[in-house]
Amino acid sequence: MIQNYKWFLVTLLISVNLHGQVKLTVNTIPKKVNVKLDGVIIGKSPIKNERIRPGVHKIEIVKAGFAPLTYDLLVNPSQAVHLDFFLNPIYRIKFKTEEKGLVFELNGEHQWDNQFIRLDLEAGDHFLRVFKLNEIIDEQTIHVDEPKKFIYYLQKPVSEE
Amino acid sequence: MLKRSFRRLFLVGGILTLITFMSGCSMLRGPVYPNIIYNNRQPLISVTYEYGEIEVRLPLNYIGAVPDNISFEVYAQGDTVNTIISILQEAPRVFIVYLPQGVLDIHNKSNIIKIIPQDTNFQPVSIRFQGILFGRIQLPPKSIQMKQLIVFGKVFLNKNNSSLSGVSVSMQNFDNVIKETTTNDSGFYQIAIPGEYKYAQHLRLVAGNNLIFKPFKQKLDFSQAFRLNFNIGVGPSATLEDPLYLTNRENVHFREHPDIGSETLFLLEAGEAVSVTRVTPGEYHGSIEVEVGNKKSVQMYGWIYRSDVFLLDLNNIFKKEGGDDSEL
Repeated sequence: MIQNYKWFLVTLLISVNLHGQVKLTVNTIPKKVNVKLDGVIIGKSPIKNERIRPGVHKIEIVKAGFAPLTYDLLVNPSQAVHLDFFLNPIYRIKFKTEEKGLVFELNGEHQWDNQFIRLDLEAGDHFLRVFKLNEIIDEQTIHVDEPKKFIYYLQKPVSEE
Repeated sequence: MLKRSFRRLFLVGGILTLITFMSGCSMLRGPVYPNIIYNNRQPLISVTYEYGEIEVRLPLNYIGAVPDNISFEVYAQGDTVNTIISILQEAPRVFIVYLPQGVLDIHNKSNIIKIIPQDTNFQPVSIRFQGILFGRIQLPPKSIQMKQLIVFGKVFLNKNNSSLSGVSVSMQNFDNVIKETTTNDSGFYQIAIPGEYKYAQHLRLVAGNNLIFKPFKQKLDFSQAFRLNFNIGVGPSATLEDPLYLTNRENVHFREHPDIGSETLFLLEAGEAVSVTRVTPGEYHGSIEVEVGNKKSVQMYGWIYRSDVFLLDLNNIFKKEGGDDSEL
């Protein structure tokens, strides 16, 4: 009798807890990525039938070879919310120049002066500045969409090999 | 000897090649920048919501009559300007509407269903309710009825136009009393009855049942209006001169002459006034008022037995408890 009573309480608590929650589905490209919900790993993608309360939540996805992703989601009161994340890949880029005495800067913060260097760049556009004797002598945007090799010639657009 | 030198040379050459391959190869490929360079490109993210439905069920009771069509308007979050949904349909027994999830206020009763019958005889009704996240809302039944019919006015004494308080006034359909009230200290009365009587053919207003006078009766016609104003005069009019007597029973003979066998001009109801002009040992001669239409009346003269009337005392015009007014 007491056991039945406990079962009833447990069932009641579960139903009360589930009431008002939203079903969460998370898909990612690539798959099998650890997904953090509000700082707690809820599993590897794809994630199905997870429950989430309406309100603001933080989703974090980190995978080697891809740019880490943080997304603040305001979950509306609904039956289910489906999330699809397409992670930005990071490509290994070779950068080469025959010019001497140049300093290169990407996105205003990453600098090097090597004539030949390998860079790990997030897919997309990057802003390149070229300095000579502390003066900007060139500015260009380079587009990264696969592993490739860039060759820089002074005052000319970066060529792809 | 040559063979041995050749083998040694091959070994050294192999080691050098191996060293060159292991260390020099990475030098040929160039150094690696120590950090990953991000461009903070917005990743592609797709957020899709799946909304459930909220079913709202509202049973409707129609009292008396049913309007042909009803317009239902649903408002949420206290916004009475923008409807969520508006539905015009034949008067249903149960109004059912499906609303998208998340539109209703789930904390307060600020969601409203307005029921607007497409018939001017009916009163629009509003229902406030509290929403839920999703599922079904079963609302309590709501009654839809025609607009109330109201009759109001004052009751006064015909003799001197003074207001009468405590006079019973009732609305009757045939002889069934629908509603009854009494006049207040100012002689004012108001009666409201359900709108289903709007087209009743035998609706009447009756006043003065608790007075010693003949009750006032007036047929009512609400077909053109929902409110009627009737000022009711009771008792003998000012044109009847004192002394005044009232008949004390029904079917009192008012005759042309005092002789036995004389023609009866009228059969008077209880409480009808007679203005007495001459007195004989057994009968009174006097006049009564007879309505001739258009609220006009004429005086008719005749005879009446003294035992069928009693003297009117305007200071005591209410019937005694128990209804025996013959002693008055």
